[in-house]
Amino acid sequence: MLLPFRLARPAEPVFSPTARWGLMLIVLFALSVGAAEAQTSAGQPGILATIWKWTPLLAQGFALNIAISFLAMAIGTAAGVPLGICQISLLPPLRGGSWFVTQFFRNSPWLVLLFYCMLLLPFEVNIAGHIVPIPGWIKSTVGLSLPVMANMSELVRGAIRSIPAGQWEAADALAFSRRQILWMIILPQCVKRMTPPWMNLYAILTVATPLCSVVGVSEAMTLTRDALASEARNELLVPMYLYLLAAFFVYCYPIARATQALEKKFAVK
Amino acid sequence: MLKRLLGIGVFALAAAAWVQAPAAAQTLDKIKQRGVIVVGTKADYKPFGFRDPSGKIVGFEPDMAEDVAKKLGVKLEIEPVVSSNRMQFLQQGKIDLMIATMNDKPDRRTVVGIIEPLYYASGVNVLAAKKAGLKTWEQLKGKKVCGIQGAWYNKPVAEKYGAEFLNFVGQAETETALLQGNCVGWVYDDTAFAERLADAKWKDFEMKLPTIMEEPWGLAVKLEEREGPWGKFMTQLSQEWHKTGRLIELEKKWKIPASAFLKKMNEEAKKAKS
Repeated sequence: MLLPFRLARPAEPVFSPTARWGLMLIVLFALSVGAAEAQTSAGQPGILATIWKWTPLLAQGFALNIAISFLAMAIGTAAGVPLGICQISLLPPLRGGSWFVTQFFRNSPWLVLLFYCMLLLPFEVNIAGHIVPIPGWIKSTVGLSLPVMANMSELVRGAIRSIPAGQWEAADALAFSRRQILWMIILPQCVKRMTPPWMNLYAILTVATPLCSVVGVSEAMTLTRDALASEARNELLVPMYLYLLAAFFVYCYPIARATQALEKKFAVK
Repeated sequence: MLKRLLGIGVFALAAAAWVQAPAAAQTLDKIKQRGVIVVGTKADYKPFGFRDPSGKIVGFEPDMAEDVAKKLGVKLEIEPVVSSNRMQFLQQGKIDLMIATMNDKPDRRTVVGIIEPLYYASGVNVLAAKKAGLKTWEQLKGKKVCGIQGAWYNKPVAEKYGAEFLNFVGQAETETALLQGNCVGWVYDDTAFAERLADAKWKDFEMKLPTIMEEPWGLAVKLEEREGPWGKFMTQLSQEWHKTGRLIELEKKWKIPASAFLKKMNEEAKKAKS
């Protein structure tokens, strides 16, 4: 029997490229702690002890980063999916409008959007007589969800486009309506295709959350800076920031691995 | 489809009209009604406002804020601010009062209501390597100096003395740049240097230039409330702070080198009483 031709799989390296980066990060951190320890004047607590002392506070800040990323992703996805579907609408104004919104937010710098949301949204609103405060982190979450929405919209549009036109035609021939084709045939297939890039988008969003520190949200980056100011020891600068970097790496790396695994699973054989 | 979209639009407009920003109220009434006063202070300016490892913002200015809250009988909430957003926060009403190491400048007086008497004073100086041998400000011409983004005196120092500024966000970053020799000196508030020079790490550095541009620091309320009940309340409290020597007490508590300004204000306030 004639077997299909298969390419030999290249040998897997002992560590994947990302894992190598992780190892390097740990080595860098150790080196920076060592170097900083050497600069510590006598009588001062050690570098690791100092970092450990600030860890609970930094963890609190990091939790806020995660909360922001979750919420921004949820809002961005909820708004981006309908927007993406509107992009293939048969109504020209709807199609044009959603195209414009998508392109506008996809091509705006995230920081600029953050500033806009920070300055334009009120800090408290009066809902039927009750004054409800809107904390800064909620405003920055909205700011971050705008580019997520636009990227999501493009993901949806691209995924719908990637389904072969034959499926539309076949479903049409079976007398499905356009809405039925979209909901029952096309979109279910898109979910699978969109998952890996969607997770990718999430990882990008997460590492972008420290941007919120620029607009005064007390997240991990702001708190790291405050901790440094409070310690007033410049030798802490490099280890502290590397510590923060490592926290983000530890959180995002598994997501990157899972994305790769999913991509492999969904790849067309 | 179009009709439905129109419906959504109308709904959104109605919602926007219903959910609107609250009308401007008198801050003092608002504080009493809420039972909470929100004060903006620095969180990265030791010892005036900084975080302890539990995350609480402590220091000279948070202690002042505590006094205000105590006097009003309300709870205190501290909102960390930085130089670039402190005035906006006050204008927006996000904070009721700002005590954030702000120099009293004429252009700032047109934006926020700076309360008199002013509560502290600092000048500009240079923390420089001893080997640079700085004796006069004119020697800075064409030399690289480090500075902090948003400090008002960066521009005048650059223009007047021809220094080239390398600006950083925080004190820790600036310190590192200075220690690594990226600049000959650091142009900043003299109050920030006094504490450092006591540390052995800075033994190769000095602050030899005369302090220039001495400017008092002002706490601020919303501009339109400067003459209102809230502004008057703070004016009165500021006078009391000087008269009772409370600020000198706080200065000692936070180990800030005694400033001539506070001593003078304390003496004047006492004289005015008798």
